[in-house]
Amino acid sequence: MPSTSRPTRRPRRSRFAGAWLALLLLASAASAQTEITFWQAWGGSEGQAMQALVDEFNASQSEVRVRSSFVPIGDGERILASLAGGAPADLVTVWDWMVVPLGYGGALADLTADLSAAGVGQDDYLPGIWEYGTYQGAKYGVPTTINVYAFMWNKDVFAAAGLDPEAPPRTIAELDVLTEQLTTVDPRGNMRRLGFYPNVTAIYCYAFGGQLYDPTTLEVTLDHPGNVAAFEWLAAYYKKYDIAKIRRFQAGWGDMASPFNPFYRGQIAMQEGGQWEVAFTREYAPDLNWGVTTFPAPEGGRTDVTPVQSSFWVIPAQATHKAEATRFLLWLSAPEQSARFAAALANIPPRRDALAMPAFADTITPQMQTYIDMLLTGYVYTPPGLPVGLYLSDQLNQALAAVQDGTVSAREALETAQRNVQRELEKYR
Amino acid sequence: MRGSRHRAGRPNVLRHMTRRQRRDLWLGLAFVSPWLIGFVVFTVYPVLASLYFSFTDYNVVSAPRWIGTRNYTDLIRDPLFGKTLYNTLYLAAIGIPFSLGLSLVIAMLLNNKVRLQGLFRTVYFLPSVVPAVAAALLWRWFLNPDYGPVNEFLWQLGINGPGWLADPAWSKPALILASLWGVGGSMVIYLAGLQNVPVALYEAADLDGASRWQRFRFVTLPMLSPVILFNLIMGIITSFQAFTNIYIMTGGGPSNSTLVYALYLYQNAFQFFRMGYASAMAWVLLAITAVALVGVFRTSGWVYYEARS
Repeated sequence: MPSTSRPTRRPRRSRFAGAWLALLLLASAASAQTEITFWQAWGGSEGQAMQALVDEFNASQSEVRVRSSFVPIGDGERILASLAGGAPADLVTVWDWMVVPLGYGGALADLTADLSAAGVGQDDYLPGIWEYGTYQGAKYGVPTTINVYAFMWNKDVFAAAGLDPEAPPRTIAELDVLTEQLTTVDPRGNMRRLGFYPNVTAIYCYAFGGQLYDPTTLEVTLDHPGNVAAFEWLAAYYKKYDIAKIRRFQAGWGDMASPFNPFYRGQIAMQEGGQWEVAFTREYAPDLNWGVTTFPAPEGGRTDVTPVQSSFWVIPAQATHKAEATRFLLWLSAPEQSARFAAALANIPPRRDALAMPAFADTITPQMQTYIDMLLTGYVYTPPGLPVGLYLSDQLNQALAAVQDGTVSAREALETAQRNVQRELEKYR
Repeated sequence: MRGSRHRAGRPNVLRHMTRRQRRDLWLGLAFVSPWLIGFVVFTVYPVLASLYFSFTDYNVVSAPRWIGTRNYTDLIRDPLFGKTLYNTLYLAAIGIPFSLGLSLVIAMLLNNKVRLQGLFRTVYFLPSVVPAVAAALLWRWFLNPDYGPVNEFLWQLGINGPGWLADPAWSKPALILASLWGVGGSMVIYLAGLQNVPVALYEAADLDGASRWQRFRFVTLPMLSPVILFNLIMGIITSFQAFTNIYIMTGGGPSNSTLVYALYLYQNAFQFFRMGYASAMAWVLLAITAVALVGVFRTSGWVYYEARS
């Protein structure tokens, strides 16, 4: 019996050998093309827009093939673990506050040389954006698209209260008066409408002439007199409107990306809001009559504060295909692609030339134009690009919580925060 | 022979095994090796590594730098360390007795032979099956100060309910209230314990003229005490590590009133890039848990072990 089984096996083995050969040939043909991995952070329609760009890049040439996968930006643990483990993707999307801590820690490639070799420089980006993600001369990432905040007010609520719907507050004093006029309380004593809700504390620090850190010396300046003045103003606000009542009211607010957004429902009359509100209101509150303008400032303060936030594309220092990843990154962040992606996200492209590209320019509404003008002419500030990352923001929040509870003075709270961050920063020196 | 072996001290186990026994031992070890290797690689190594990191300045991406006990001394100076420890102990000290008591009461009620007993048991156990995230979201809405059914009910009684999760004074009680919804897990363990109490003991108690309370006090409770001890220990461990529901329901706020130890540890490790500090926090938590558990065992004279007597 064994003798008969052998002949039948032999051809099968050779058939396998043929298959192996074919596979090897295929593999060697494919190896002319380098595959890079790209962790992109967008789901849904935004993810589809990104995938369309990836597909277009893949079709446009045959040397580099981008394989993208959706890794939510909030999944910092996964990103951190892949970097610490030395097996990261070739191109990764991270929050702005992660860029400098990771880069300074040695986990990210410095893109300075590659960008300048490609002829990309400061003038190609909107004012203040090139420095963003840079620390001590090293550029650790490229902003994906820009989010910018401005001051929003609900015109209908203004009109219903007998106020001029076209006259938003220009000074902090005017803001205080309007806040009082627009705040209402129900028979139970619970808040029905808050005239104004300050959400991003740092904006007011800058409006009062302060700053969280000195961008030139890279020193932390949480106890800056301007910040103290802003905190004293916030403390008065929380005392007057009662932090307990505000928190209680806040617990009933709906999701920001829904028709139950408290601003859309008239529960807040004035607040900060990013340019995404142009798209959000179109979707969730098409009848909302709102205006957008620059932030009010006190006498002698900054009248053109422009808060900017972004996610970043970074190339890990230990990426296997850095050159190919850079090539794709340069293509992805070029004006044409930047314009298209920003339009899909209702964000603003970081590239100056992208603003004029039809893909983006055709989507600009008058409200969007206000945001763009602020970016072009305002005092742009970004989250501090320091190795301490989110710790500084958290300390600012801790200081605010202490001030809200009225346990310490604004100055003391900020001095404590300053000391803590300074101490943490010294570990990196 | 046997005597001499004993005098020689600890015998080499392998030498006194038959060939077959030895082969079975290696084979057995080979079969469990995926778990042994997994245990060493994914549990023992990280635990020991975290002990080392706790003595270093480590931001995850650059190499750890030895700083001795500075993380531990920093902990003592950190006001949030004390605050988060207090919050955690508060939730444990108030939450565990409530949950132990409530689950015991429900288990005893469900141990009665009533119609639809199976249905009732299922209904009370059901919340334990609901994913933690879904339950947390549900409770956030339930306790909503302005729109939630709890405050609406209180308003019908003429009470303007508290801000619950939005009020630093009420946020911890609110979390405890929400956690009581999930007592089904320990309830099931009590139920199993109750069914193991010999009927003969109740019959003997009846013959002696014991009242319902006496039957509970002198038969049920002692027979159930090992189960209570078990639930107590599990309660301590899980409440010291509480994270998910709080992360979702309050994120630690308002004003740090629900910032529990594990949440602060997580922030330090993954948001502030202070992995060394977070490792030190983890070891302090382990020490505190160990002390608490040793304390529980030391004072467990009230536990009655049937097999021992």
